[in-house]
Order: sequence, then structure tokens, then C-alpha cells
Amino acid sequence: MLIVRRRVGEKILVGGSVEIEIVEISKSRVKLGVRAPAHVPVVRKEMATVAGENRTALELVAGEGVGNLIGRLNEIPVRPI
Amino acid sequence: MTACCPELQVESPWLGEIRWNAAEELFFPGGLPGFERCQRMVPVEIPSQRPLIYLQSAEDARVCFVAMPAPAVWPEFSLQISEDDRGAVGLAEDAGIGTDVMCLALLLPWGRSVQTNLDAPIVINLHNGRGVQAVAPAGTAGLFRLGENGWEAAC
Repeated sequence: MLIVRRRVGEKILVGGSVEIEIVEISKSRVKLGVRAPAHVPVVRKEMATVAGENRTALELVAGEGVGNLIGRLNEIPVRPI
Repeated sequence: MTACCPELQVESPWLGEIRWNAAEELFFPGGLPGFERCQRMVPVEIPSQRPLIYLQSAEDARVCFVAMPAPAVWPEFSLQISEDDRGAVGLAEDAGIGTDVMCLALLLPWGRSVQTNLDAPIVINLHNGRGVQAVAPAGTAGLFRLGENGWEAAC
């Protein structure tokens, strides 16, 4: 992993075509600006994980999962208050 | 004479023919992660299948998600949403779940059961129909799975 220190306005170049600029630095967060060609997807890492989950989620309605799910939801014991 | 709100329809492979008018649509400005082009979603409730809510894409009949209210999975659920996502749907700081905002947990298959990631709820502003999947970078809720005794946090 390359570790560098940058100030606001300074940039990092990745692969010759992706440019990352430090836009703002606050106490707990850094705002980054990313310029990349249209064919290069730029996403927050956690979004990529959720994208995979969403693609998997489509399988639920297509399979037999929903029918089983409804039955299971009806069987959930009611928790005492 | 033209209808002020023409009826729209989609033939869902799983739900059959669905008809709605534009006022009933939900609009996701950025789509959903992995489905960025699916901006228009139609919420479908089948009374016998409550609390399930289907989110059917109005643009792609093959895209249909199964969801349920997040508090029904975890009663202690509280909305964690970034400033960017809050602005995308026009949500007030003091928005109340159920009155101003609906939070849905997207369900995905897990073996013979289902699980859901409560750090990525579908957030819908009930006042303007705008939605976003609010993904928390460092979540506090995490994965929940439907087991024999109900919903449980996955370790």
C-alpha cells in the first residue's frame, strides 16, 4: 500500500487516468474528488459490497424463497413486552 | 380529453400485471447499488403477505426486490444516514420513522431462510416519494438472519 500525505488541493494519480484530489479536510473526515474515465467505475467500497447483496436479493423473488418466508414470518413467536 | 394521471403498467414475471399511476411511484435519484439505472420503483403490497413489501422496478420487469419494515426485523433500529443521502431525498433532520420516513430492509436468500443488512436500509421520504439505499460505512446494526426463533443478529 502506498501511503502519502496530501494537503487540500493536492492530487494523486492512479493508473494515469484516475485523479484523486483532496477537496476538504475536517476534524474527522476528508472530502475527496475523483476524476476518472466513464468506463472506470468509482464507488465507495461499502457500496460495492451492497451491490453484490442486491444482486443476490433478486434471487429471492425468483425462487421458492418467498413462499417459505411468509410461512416462517407467521411462525415467529411474539416476544413478551 | 386526456387523463391527468395516466395509468402505467408492467408485466412482472413474479407478480403478474401491475398497474399504477405516476403519483404512486418512488423515485431513487441514484438508483440502487448494482442497479443504478433503476430509478423508478413501484411499492407493491399483497395483504396476505404482510409485512412483506415488493419493490418492483418500473423500468425493468425482471428487477423486483422483497423487503419489510426495518423495525419489524429489529425493534431497536434507528436510521443512520449520511448528509449526502439525506439531501438526496430531502429528509429533515428530525424525520420520524413511520411519519416522515419509511425504512425498509431488503431481504436476500440465506440457505433455506433469509437475511438482511440493516446497515443498508432503503430509506423513503414519505412526503415526496424519493428514496435512497443509505449504506453506512461503519454500521452499527449489521446482518440479521431469520432463524427458528425469529430475527437474530448474525455474529
